[in-house]
Amino acid sequence: MSVANVVEQLLNALALAGLLFLVSAGLSLVFGILRVVNFAHGVFYMLGAYFGVTSVAVTGWFWPSLLLVPPVVGVVGAMLEASTLRFIYRRPPIYQLLLTFGLALILEESVRVVYGPTALGVEPPALLQGAVEIAGTFYPRYRLFLVVLGLAVGAVVWLLLTKTRTGLVIRAVAQNSEMADCLGADVTRVRTLVFGAACALAGLGGVAAAPMTTAYLGMGISVIVDAFVVVVIGGLGSIPGSMAGSLIVGAAQTWGAFYLPETAMVIMYAVMGAILIFRPWGLFGEEE
Amino acid sequence: MRGRWLGALALVALAVAPWALARHQLSLLTDLLIFGLFALSLDLIMGYTGMVSFGHAAYFGLGAYGSALVLIHFEQPIPVALLAGALLAGVIAVPVGWFSTRAREIYFAMLTLAFAQLLYTVAYKWRDLTGGSDGIAGVPKTTLYWGGPSVAGPHAFYAVVAVSVVLSLIVCRALVASPFGRALQAIRENERRFISLGRDPRVFKLTVFVIAATFAGLAGALFAPFRGFASPEVMFWVLSGQGLMMVITGGIGTLVGPIIGAMVFILIQEILSSYTEHWMIFTGAIFVLMVIFLPGGLVGTARRLATRA
Repeated sequence: MSVANVVEQLLNALALAGLLFLVSAGLSLVFGILRVVNFAHGVFYMLGAYFGVTSVAVTGWFWPSLLLVPPVVGVVGAMLEASTLRFIYRRPPIYQLLLTFGLALILEESVRVVYGPTALGVEPPALLQGAVEIAGTFYPRYRLFLVVLGLAVGAVVWLLLTKTRTGLVIRAVAQNSEMADCLGADVTRVRTLVFGAACALAGLGGVAAAPMTTAYLGMGISVIVDAFVVVVIGGLGSIPGSMAGSLIVGAAQTWGAFYLPETAMVIMYAVMGAILIFRPWGLFGEEE
Repeated sequence: MRGRWLGALALVALAVAPWALARHQLSLLTDLLIFGLFALSLDLIMGYTGMVSFGHAAYFGLGAYGSALVLIHFEQPIPVALLAGALLAGVIAVPVGWFSTRAREIYFAMLTLAFAQLLYTVAYKWRDLTGGSDGIAGVPKTTLYWGGPSVAGPHAFYAVVAVSVVLSLIVCRALVASPFGRALQAIRENERRFISLGRDPRVFKLTVFVIAATFAGLAGALFAPFRGFASPEVMFWVLSGQGLMMVITGGIGTLVGPIIGAMVFILIQEILSSYTEHWMIFTGAIFVLMVIFLPGGLVGTARRLATRA
């Protein structure tokens, strides 16, 4: 196996990890703040991809779509949180998971009604078409862009959470929502905003994924299962955990697909199982 | 007392159904009972132990494949196929349960989902054994025992299913009333206290997980000869989610409730799908409303109303 080959696999793993991070970061964030595992999170990723298709088809531009679609997905998410989830936070956690499952069904089928059952493709922008030469191998530009995007979003989210006042309030609600409420934080609003922001992140992942994977029905569930594995490995509620988990899953899937194409999935679960034996609450998670 | 009368009434209704119902209605009832058993098995872990499995369909599917393979390749009597399907599901549930029960609550739900998707992928990819996405078609309804009468007729197969489901319900009721069942409910109510009393919850959790998977496998093992096929769809996450819906619709932690929930759920689907192909939107909406307004489900709510009256 040549150096070029190693580099190519490494970049593939990083590109996949970038996408996974965009989805799992929001999933983890929502769990940290709302204590809800959002089963519908993958559907927002799918929504992002389909909205991206529409936006590119209407405007003809990829870049504006990348900026425009995430807020729209975020607003849809925030509206759903405010109209359903908000009323059942006091129930055992499983009811929230089930509710988001119901939402996932509604959204998935709605997309089928609007867009039909066939997969829809998006052209990557001219700037990101073609390949560049890296260490003697030609590598698609678009995948490099995904690597950069994942890293950039990770940095922004981390800075937002740790360096700003908003981030401080969000972390306060995550740590102790009742106390944060007593100290004057508007917990209800924080929850809705965080839920919306997480959906927007998933939506961004969806738009970014569309040129590579096309927009198709079922992309939500396949990504949510991977994202579950990511957050189980990294620890729910931890952004660095999502990053580490995304890298591990990205690497396991890429090398698995390369060496053992039939059993790539098995490798991902084997890695997860091995980590859980030693840390049942994930690498960066806290024991409950 | 009232419950006992209702139970007796339900048994009588099941017994006279073959004479009272038309052929397609009997076939629908058979279907309802099979999924009722599936939901019942899920309630064992969900309602009585407080562990929500998001991958229960995997064991239904394993049961279906197990019985389909035995029936097609060895043409054994139905009870052998049922046993094979249930055992296959139970055996696979041991390693999965061993991993999954290390985690709690949401982590448990996600792990069971991940393992179920893994099993689904195996069923999908292992073409030589499972037929891949085509599945296994032409699963025969064989005989009741070696050289015994055929169960291929709708009445006979209905009887096999009805007896299996009623027996399973009786066994599960005895199970939750036993000391073992009490221990499960103690874990559900307060796991820390259970540990501090010097018991190890994991042994109980793993055991009930395997038992629930075995009953789900039995349901799947009935499904394959009934429909005549086993395909990866019966292992898909959609069915796992529908199982959760059936349990919630009927009433979590009531055993009978999930059976009723499964029946109501499938009937709603039947009715909706005759009006629109996009029935999933409406079942999704009904389910969201049920979770918000009727957390006790049909049976739970009915019982609350009955005690209030």
